[in-house]
Amino acid sequence: MQVIFALLKFALLNNLFLIIVSSIIFFLLFLNHSYAQVSNLEVDSTNVQTLKEVIISATRVERQLSSLPLPATIISKKAISRSNSNTLDQILQSQTGLTTVPDFGGGEGLQMQGLDSQYTLILLNGSPLIGRSAGTFNLKRINLGNIRQIEIVKGASSSLYGSEALAGVINIVTEKPTVGLSNYINYSLSTHNSNDFSYSMNNLLNNTGFDFFFNRNSSDGYDLNENDELMTVDPFVNYTINGSLTYDLKDKTKFSLSTRYYNNVQDNVASSSLKGLSEIDEWNTNFKINYSPNSKWDSFLELYFTNYLAKENLNNLDGSLYDENFYDHSLFKPELRNIYRISNNKIIVGGIGLSIEKLNRTYFEVKPIFKSPYIYIQYDYYPIEDLNLIIGSRFDSHNKYKSQFSPKLALRYKINEKISTKFSLGYGYKAPDFRQLYFDFTNSLVGYSVLGYNVAVESISLMQSQGKISNIIYSLDDLKGELKAENSISFNLGFNYILNSEISFDLNIFRNTIKDLIDTRVIANKTNGQNVFSYYNVNNVFTHGLEFNSKWNPSNSLTINSGFQLLYAKDSDAIKSFNNGEVYARKNPNSPAFQLKKKDYFGLYNRSRTMINININYDLFQENIELNLKGKYRSKYGIIDSNYNNFLDSYDEFVNGYALIDFTLNKKINKKYNVGFGIDNVFDFKDYQNITNISGRIFYAKLNLNFNQ
Amino acid sequence: MKTLKLLFLSFLIISLSSCSDDDEPLLDVISNKVTNFHAPQAGGMGQPITGEFAKFSFATGLQSSSSTEWDIGFRGTTIIVNGGTATGTADEPTRNGQGGAYVASGTMASVLDVDTTKFKQDASSALAITTGSGNGWYTYNGQSHVISPTPGKILVFKTHDGLYAKIEILSYYKDSPASPNAFTDPSRYYTFNYIYQPNKGQTSF
Repeated sequence: MQVIFALLKFALLNNLFLIIVSSIIFFLLFLNHSYAQVSNLEVDSTNVQTLKEVIISATRVERQLSSLPLPATIISKKAISRSNSNTLDQILQSQTGLTTVPDFGGGEGLQMQGLDSQYTLILLNGSPLIGRSAGTFNLKRINLGNIRQIEIVKGASSSLYGSEALAGVINIVTEKPTVGLSNYINYSLSTHNSNDFSYSMNNLLNNTGFDFFFNRNSSDGYDLNENDELMTVDPFVNYTINGSLTYDLKDKTKFSLSTRYYNNVQDNVASSSLKGLSEIDEWNTNFKINYSPNSKWDSFLELYFTNYLAKENLNNLDGSLYDENFYDHSLFKPELRNIYRISNNKIIVGGIGLSIEKLNRTYFEVKPIFKSPYIYIQYDYYPIEDLNLIIGSRFDSHNKYKSQFSPKLALRYKINEKISTKFSLGYGYKAPDFRQLYFDFTNSLVGYSVLGYNVAVESISLMQSQGKISNIIYSLDDLKGELKAENSISFNLGFNYILNSEISFDLNIFRNTIKDLIDTRVIANKTNGQNVFSYYNVNNVFTHGLEFNSKWNPSNSLTINSGFQLLYAKDSDAIKSFNNGEVYARKNPNSPAFQLKKKDYFGLYNRSRTMINININYDLFQENIELNLKGKYRSKYGIIDSNYNNFLDSYDEFVNGYALIDFTLNKKINKKYNVGFGIDNVFDFKDYQNITNISGRIFYAKLNLNFNQ
Repeated sequence: MKTLKLLFLSFLIISLSSCSDDDEPLLDVISNKVTNFHAPQAGGMGQPITGEFAKFSFATGLQSSSSTEWDIGFRGTTIIVNGGTATGTADEPTRNGQGGAYVASGTMASVLDVDTTKFKQDASSALAITTGSGNGWYTYNGQSHVISPTPGKILVFKTHDGLYAKIEILSYYKDSPASPNAFTDPSRYYTFNYIYQPNKGQTSF
């Protein structure tokens, strides 16, 4: 008992959240002994279709989606092919509560539960993908040609995956070898001369299997504003090659080796006289040994290596070099994971691993290396037949910032055959990235400087000795502590109601409370009148809201899915400023300022209060013709502080709400041929000033050939 | 009853003493708007900033060429007061007055009293109106490069001869366009409202 008290006291001093979780863990461990073992990991749901859906990223062990205590969805191969999406951004946009936010050069990052792209971890077969530009992961990098399913897990998942899994996790699962040789060719042509060609081959013979995939994707880009000399999205060509080999040794041991290569070359145009290229090279290699001596044990040894290299150059008209920069990021991650099935209703998953990250780039004086060994454990069990509990936690040690402990608790209770409820509470964090720690950049044109936290003191001292600093705003001693990881507590409460075999509803209420958000501030003034910026922990923000999904199958040939998200994403300090009457605005430059009221605070940039999506599938002539109609609505949102009071308020200019409608028709000619036709953005919606990733109406046609044996 | 008497007595005393002060009538507070006050600079963009400050006198409401009869000076986004010492940049005028300044939060209508404890003078370490985006009177937008007066910032000044004034800067661009373009609209043209208290010792506007 004393130990427990000591622990509680420790927790009380540190974090209320830790108290709750640790006490629940203790409670559950005791509770566990008092219940008879009830077999129940497999059976659930009245819906036969969903019974088959198995998700792996949510618990790192194959779990039936419908019985999972976490808010998660799966996008199946079938749904991907029906939608005719070529890249990951297209398919994710049509999911409830997800939207994409445009980034420079036509990239698109994901927003989940109102959190930015940098807080969602993207996995490829369970291993993290790297290569982010200022935190944004460009979803267009992922071609969907050989994707078997996409798993979306919402809510902090750092208890399994560590850093970045703050808003949630997206896992992309590629095809695995299956018996019988199959060959696929896919080709689609669309507006803007966009071409997408894929070839894939797959076979499993005795104990050896392979899968090969090749894709070429290119486009002439587009220009939404003809009045300037730049294009909105410059022309590009990219290639994806993916190969995997599997080998089974005497049933107990399985080997697999998979590797993926991605190359993208895009024009880089800064003005009519400055042109060049920007290129991305990405490698991912994963070697896995799976040893299962009996039905209870599964051991996995995984060696994962990935490298992301981005290069950019700009040349003058005479061909001489104007500017070039590069970004070379690599990650090596060995992991040993064990799954132990104590009984039918108790599974323990544990893992131990090491993550070694390196970055070499322009504007860095150093070549930093992050080393982070980690360990995690998760216990998944049914104390009683209708109650499933998952408790887990992970510890990440790190050589450059504070170590992190990430607990998580999730439970699902089946109230009756029709209603079930889910609850999850977890800690998520995002470690300071290389840029926030090591950036050492001075703008040659304007003269301001941006310094990473770990190099700020040294660089300021150097500038001081060179006589470039006129005034230091924060004493250098203030900059000597550690920059903290951005962290959050994520809460989800869900209800699932199955009215009958045709109609079901899902409701999820969420809240993410984020602390220590990293931002930049001025730490010193320079003698040239400019400032020196550095990173620091500042903001406390929260996002909360609800997500509602409904499924309706009026007949075998018709399915109607719809979803809705209500979101409030705000900065707690901003709320205080509004409450204290410290915020002012001016209607136009010639009118005097006036004080804003509490209700005038809108929230964070780029967040819509409501988003609605609807998806209708209709099959005709024994599924020989598939029709699909998709709609997506986003309510108004702000992208700039147009009245310069540093807050997004009701007197700022907003991007108007909009709706997009997509239509597709796929026809099966015979067993070997499929053709498809579609229109994206049927009503040709465009907003060239604010929304650069919507190019207007797109027509496309596709052809699909398969030679299966 | 005793209290009432006391109250009456004090009322009488105050009335009498007020009357005795009225022999010098107060001047009216001056409220005015200045448009397109040009404040050029040379240098910048990583080079040392140079050029004469455009000096302004609240008493005249006009630009001042005098080396003593000025209250505040403008050069680019930098605002100086006639009080304290030079920061050491080129072409700064000599401060020979008792001027000072501070930045108050509020509107012209809400900042009604001068807080004399808040005044700072220019010094070699920092100006009374601190420079840089978000530090003083303006916000710089890194994407559009537009300099915008931060709403809710009222600059309160002590003049060179110890009187008080407050200003609200409205625009940094010529003819104060509704949405300035940093590349086409001429900058360093101040438009501001000011209120000047011409009476010695009066700390309210």
